Amino acid sequence: MTTAHAEAANGTLPHEPERATAEGRNKVLAFWLFLGGEAVLFGTLFATFLALRNQTNDGPSANELFHLPLVAAATFILLVSSLTSVFAIQAMHRNNIAQLRNWLILTVLLGLGFLGLEIYEFSEYVRHEEFGMTTSAFSSAFYTLVGFHGAHVAFGIAWISLLIGQLSYKGLTVVTAPKIYVSAMYWHFIDVVWVFIFTVVYLLGKVG
Amino acid sequence: MTTDQQSKVNGVKHRHRTEGPQRHIVVFVFSIVLTLIAFAAVAAGGVNPTFTVVLLLIMAVLQVFLQMGFWMHLKDKGHLLPIIFMLGGFFIAGTCIIMALYWVWWD
Amino acid sequence: MAHAHTLNSSKPLGHGSSVKRHTGLMDWITTVDHKKIAILYLWAGGLFFGIGGLEAILIRIQLIKPMNDFLDAQTFNELITMHGTTMIFLGVMPVIFALMNAVIPLQIGARDVAFPFLNALGFWTFLFGGILLNLSWIMGGAPDAGWTSYAPLSTSTYSTTHGVDFYTIGLQIAGLGTLIGGINFLATIITMRAPGMSFMRMPMFAWTTFITSAIILFAFPAITVGLVLLTFDRILGANFFEVGGGGSPVLWQHIFWIFGHPEVYILILPAFGIISEVIPTFSRKRLFGYSSMVFATILIAFLGFMVWAHHMFTTGLGPVANALFSVSTMLIAVPTGIKIFNWLFTMWGGQVRFTTPNLFAAGFIPTFTMGGVTGVMLASAPADFQFHDTYFVVAHFHYVIVGGLVLGLFAGLHYWWPKMFGRMLSESLGKWTFWTFILGFHMTFFVQHFLGLMGMQRRVFTYLPNQQFDLLNLVSTIGAFLMGVGMIIFLINIYLTSRRPADASNDPWEDGRTLEWTIPSPPPEYNFKQTPLVRGIDAFWKEKTAGHTAMTPAEPVGSIHMPSATAIPFVMSVGIFIAGLGFMFSRDEFGNAFMSFLFNNYIVTALGLLITFGAMLIRSLYDDHGWHIEPEELEGR
Repeated sequence: MTTAHAEAANGTLPHEPERATAEGRNKVLAFWLFLGGEAVLFGTLFATFLALRNQTNDGPSANELFHLPLVAAATFILLVSSLTSVFAIQAMHRNNIAQLRNWLILTVLLGLGFLGLEIYEFSEYVRHEEFGMTTSAFSSAFYTLVGFHGAHVAFGIAWISLLIGQLSYKGLTVVTAPKIYVSAMYWHFIDVVWVFIFTVVYLLGKVG
Repeated sequence: MTTDQQSKVNGVKHRHRTEGPQRHIVVFVFSIVLTLIAFAAVAAGGVNPTFTVVLLLIMAVLQVFLQMGFWMHLKDKGHLLPIIFMLGGFFIAGTCIIMALYWVWWD
Repeated sequence: MAHAHTLNSSKPLGHGSSVKRHTGLMDWITTVDHKKIAILYLWAGGLFFGIGGLEAILIRIQLIKPMNDFLDAQTFNELITMHGTTMIFLGVMPVIFALMNAVIPLQIGARDVAFPFLNALGFWTFLFGGILLNLSWIMGGAPDAGWTSYAPLSTSTYSTTHGVDFYTIGLQIAGLGTLIGGINFLATIITMRAPGMSFMRMPMFAWTTFITSAIILFAFPAITVGLVLLTFDRILGANFFEVGGGGSPVLWQHIFWIFGHPEVYILILPAFGIISEVIPTFSRKRLFGYSSMVFATILIAFLGFMVWAHHMFTTGLGPVANALFSVSTMLIAVPTGIKIFNWLFTMWGGQVRFTTPNLFAAGFIPTFTMGGVTGVMLASAPADFQFHDTYFVVAHFHYVIVGGLVLGLFAGLHYWWPKMFGRMLSESLGKWTFWTFILGFHMTFFVQHFLGLMGMQRRVFTYLPNQQFDLLNLVSTIGAFLMGVGMIIFLINIYLTSRRPADASNDPWEDGRTLEWTIPSPPPEYNFKQTPLVRGIDAFWKEKTAGHTAMTPAEPVGSIHMPSATAIPFVMSVGIFIAGLGFMFSRDEFGNAFMSFLFNNYIVTALGLLITFGAMLIRSLYDDHGWHIEPEELEGR
């Protein structure tokens, strides 16, 4: 504890600045607890989707609707962004603020790319496939599950952008480090949820 | 914990600082391969659907294990409580999914 | 130790004297002190509890005689819906949170919870969710689809007013507060325990709070999703529960009860914890079978998630599912029985003093057991086909919730009142409360078992004469008034006590066993001048038996770090409240074109979210360095 204090005071940081203070450790732990709750949140959404996946109400079905290349591109982008966020944390542990910032910016850009693809996909479905929120139970469940994930991505983009800003004028401190670490956890979790979405929603939808 | 940190910080050797990106790139490559297998299995078509479904689920679970273990550091020491609570969350989520698959529609 | 003074050494800090202190209303709005938040929870919960109680009295007046026309059917439906929803989400849960907030940090030897800011945020979101829900009475009609809000009755086809929207949006906001509170208590208990207090040395109330918070963490996201889906069905025209669009009403029942059954354990486990504190104290014995109590608590929590479909036997899940859920439900009787016998064995051979808290605890045991026994009866699927939707079910769940939880809360409130407010409640008035309340309770609900067995349906606003229902309903209504008298005596007790000087000692019951009794009543804002060293279960009792009058400190007297007061949680909750109202009315026609413009374009919703996220942004941008209480000030007290 004293070490962390001394180092925080004289401008250098301990190896894992996110765990240097009790507040930081509490934050990381509580965020894990929160993610446990998020698992149930998405679990319930997946359950809803699985229960209603065949209720197309004479609207388009999963097999007719989905285009795998688009999903593959989105998957690749999000996977790469998860890797860049790992590199960001590694840079943070090396106390290299410039690299940390660059990796975070890259993560945000990739997140924006993913979000753009998703918005494009949704608008295509609504405009050309007559597949909207009210079309069928399947469409409601699809938009809600994938949309909840998309909203998480959007929140993550806003959050990490805010932290990039804070990094420039507060620097890397024992206060900002836990925030960055926790946002990276959040980003990985979004990626984990996406793994299940592309498997359960898109690929299994194609299998039928 | 504290002494461990101090030794890392004050000691001559900063073991963690030499940790390179290699391990994470390996995880990334594995993730890509698992994803490719899943997409290829579906794109190829013609395979027994039950087999495909099982294969897809195995690929997804493996990938999630890799990413949560390495990228979210669950495999590291001091993560017992996070593991317990994440397993709890996944367990309840699984319960919901079993509900959805077996007890919403019936003949 | 660790949490006392951390992270702030990089900046010069304000001393206690230079910190801006709020007074009056601003103090309550900006407080992040867990002891004050406890009092806020208590008053807010007490207010909603009173509203729910009045609703219950109205329901009982309507049922006092056959073919009564005191209320019409629609009002009756609104009253039963709001009675159930208010009591569970806005009445008893906040009082539980009040006791957790007041006691848990003290019991584990901490200076505050892990996240004081989130603690305040949890309270304010709960309060504004509750206010939103109750605004329905004056804004076009309360929800009327029952507290379970089953589809299709709750869908826009059959429920055309905004009632159910108030239900879905109000509960989402209140539920957010509960989830935040749950995570906070989990983190607090995991990381903030005093040196020496291992998990297996924690007081039982801390254990049940821990497990309850874990259930909250895993159950509330499910209901949040359910409520979001129902909101989307009603406001955006989605088809989750609309049969016409391919949806499934049974899905709503599943999602609701996957949350709803754990919810009843969220309610009862804290009561188990309170009883496990009160009985040992007034038996002057340590709790019998401590580790089996811990084990039973965890087992109840686990099984609580595995039994939800026993609420749905009559939907036709089939014999396999029904048998499975019957057996898992009956299994819960095993850990619960362990607890009942442990309490009895704790009293056995102890020097039992029947103070008011202990009277409530002693009344709890047989009353709760009766509710448990009817629970096992209901668990049997074939029998449930007969009991379903009759007053037998109403009697059962009131025995476990009122006879269990509310008696437990009364025990806890009388027990910890001196610690929260520095004044002992009157013992004689307390005993009057107990006897009127418990007699009224059994009069109200015992007869309802027989009403149910004779075929009286719940949720129906009246009944025909000559079915042998008349006398029993009259008895039930008289009992309800007697419970009301008990509540009024309790309020008088509170009022009279508040007029007396705050002279409670550190250990007013004289046989306190846990850490909260080692510090003044009420405690100073930093709780412990020095963090205590815990040397066993019932840490204070252990020191007492060793001949000590105080705990051994685990640290020297030093500067204590305190979090800053802030109004941001309040502002964030106001924002969510506005956003919720805006979303609810987004599809309405307004007479006024400007109002239509504001609501129909989601401008009100956006404004509310802007306030919430703006406040969050400010919280993120400006680091809260807190302030310090210096040793000189500690000594000066």
